Amino acid sequence: MNDNKPNDPFDELMRRSLHEEADRIEPSDALPEIRARAHAQRPAARRPWLLTAGLAAAGTAAAIGAFTMLNGPDNIADDGDAVAGPGTTTTATGVPESQTPSIASATPEPSQAPTEPPTTSPSAKTAGPTDRGVPEPAVKSTVVPVYWLGQQVGAPKKSAARLYRTWAKVSGRPAEQAVRIMTTKQPSDPDYYSVWRGAALNTVTRSNGIVTVDFKQLPTTALDADLARVAAQQLVYTVQGALGDNRTPIQVTEAGRSGRRLFGQVDTSGPLSRAQAADVQALVWIDSPAEDQLVKSKVTVQGVASAFEATVNYEATNLKTRETKKSFTSAKEGQKFSPYSFQLTLTPGEWQISVYLLSAEDGSITNTDSKSVVVK
Amino acid sequence: MAQPAVVYEECVTHESSWDADEALTAVYTAHYTSLVRLGSLLLRDTGTAEEIVQDAFVAMHGRWHRLRDPHKALAYLRTAVVNRCRSRQRHLVVVDKHTPRTLPDEPSAEQAVLRTAETDRVIEAMRTLPEKQRTVMVLRYYGDLSEAEIADTMGISRGSVKSHAARASKSLRQLLEQNV
Repeated sequence: MNDNKPNDPFDELMRRSLHEEADRIEPSDALPEIRARAHAQRPAARRPWLLTAGLAAAGTAAAIGAFTMLNGPDNIADDGDAVAGPGTTTTATGVPESQTPSIASATPEPSQAPTEPPTTSPSAKTAGPTDRGVPEPAVKSTVVPVYWLGQQVGAPKKSAARLYRTWAKVSGRPAEQAVRIMTTKQPSDPDYYSVWRGAALNTVTRSNGIVTVDFKQLPTTALDADLARVAAQQLVYTVQGALGDNRTPIQVTEAGRSGRRLFGQVDTSGPLSRAQAADVQALVWIDSPAEDQLVKSKVTVQGVASAFEATVNYEATNLKTRETKKSFTSAKEGQKFSPYSFQLTLTPGEWQISVYLLSAEDGSITNTDSKSVVVK
Repeated sequence: MAQPAVVYEECVTHESSWDADEALTAVYTAHYTSLVRLGSLLLRDTGTAEEIVQDAFVAMHGRWHRLRDPHKALAYLRTAVVNRCRSRQRHLVVVDKHTPRTLPDEPSAEQAVLRTAETDRVIEAMRTLPEKQRTVMVLRYYGDLSEAEIADTMGISRGSVKSHAARASKSLRQLLEQNV
């Protein structure tokens, strides 16, 4: 109520105390769950496609079968070895490799009526098969990688960015959920950003050897060529990571049509392939702990680095006392992406943990990642 | 609410054309945390507050075609959360009479960080207030709502908001001065 005297100490005390009490509460992300429930409870009357669902059932079953086969035996439900080197994901955040897609029928989404798959209607420049695409199966709960851009330090160009990975727990269709997070959410780590904000995803579907990501609206931002290329790879890495398939190229469409230049630069008339990790991926990142995580005093830091002579430097600073611990560790292998980990024993309070690589030539910092944590 | 509505300020040109999913995502991003916090202040139980807020978002999604406006959606959510917390609280009071000390009052160990003595005293004192008075105080000082907005949210008259606030302030001032 604003009709009080502004400086009443009682009002001040109440305001301060209630805000302080409230700020201690950090709810975990519930959007996927809310979405799933919202879709599950839609009144049948507003789902005309339900009437045809019976007819379509056979087709749907076949379609899901096809998807499962494609996604099949050699499926690496984590974010495959091409990114991070084998074994990283298991050591990283304890990511459950539960890849048992409890096949979808539970929460079919109206926008993906099985009778009319939102395929790419062939436009003038369409490349690749544009026949019926199949949405991925929905799962109850899984963990997907979501990629963001992060400034590359020590790079000659100001706009140089590299991909950084975070993990998100989702339910529903994993790739679709991952892209939605990437296009609508703020990354928890303030050092990361996304140029995909404002884009509105329609569907992620899959047909013969191609994954189609259809947007109701593509981002309208124009970027310089290098940044645009990395931003396009942000989508490729995120979708492929969620699908556990690093090989199938990604066709980007807008309202079913291909060919618009992404960020004013990237040609999307044909599908986009995954770029070499060494070209776009940050050369060092921290997988665990996550930003703002509450940790015990003994913290194990894990991540992936591609470092000269495998050396990963690190530094932890207490944000209040400025106490600093500094050392280095070795990644499993040098000059290629491979996992590293080290342990710190920290006193209670807020700490910032940074990892960084040094230039072999002049010893300057070339790549970095950092996380703030709260030690119990 | 205390949280700036960053998300829908950015997309403000599109908001009228949002479908229910887009609205849900945007309003969720901007307000989920502060609504859970509001619920937790009312209930002193974050888990239940999360459930209640999630229910409210599911309901909002279902009626988006009638709301069509993020500001209305927020007012709807706030009302839904406050109402559900209040009825939940009344239920708990009944239960509490029969089984004392089962109220999920205590913050879990994880949250039990850094509450100052001052806040401690205010929160303790708030617990002694009747439910309506406490709700008014939370909406006023945490939600930063005007008298009229509080009246709308709680479905009571502005006059009642005023008298609840006056009575609550009086008891709180007394309690807090005593305990110094």
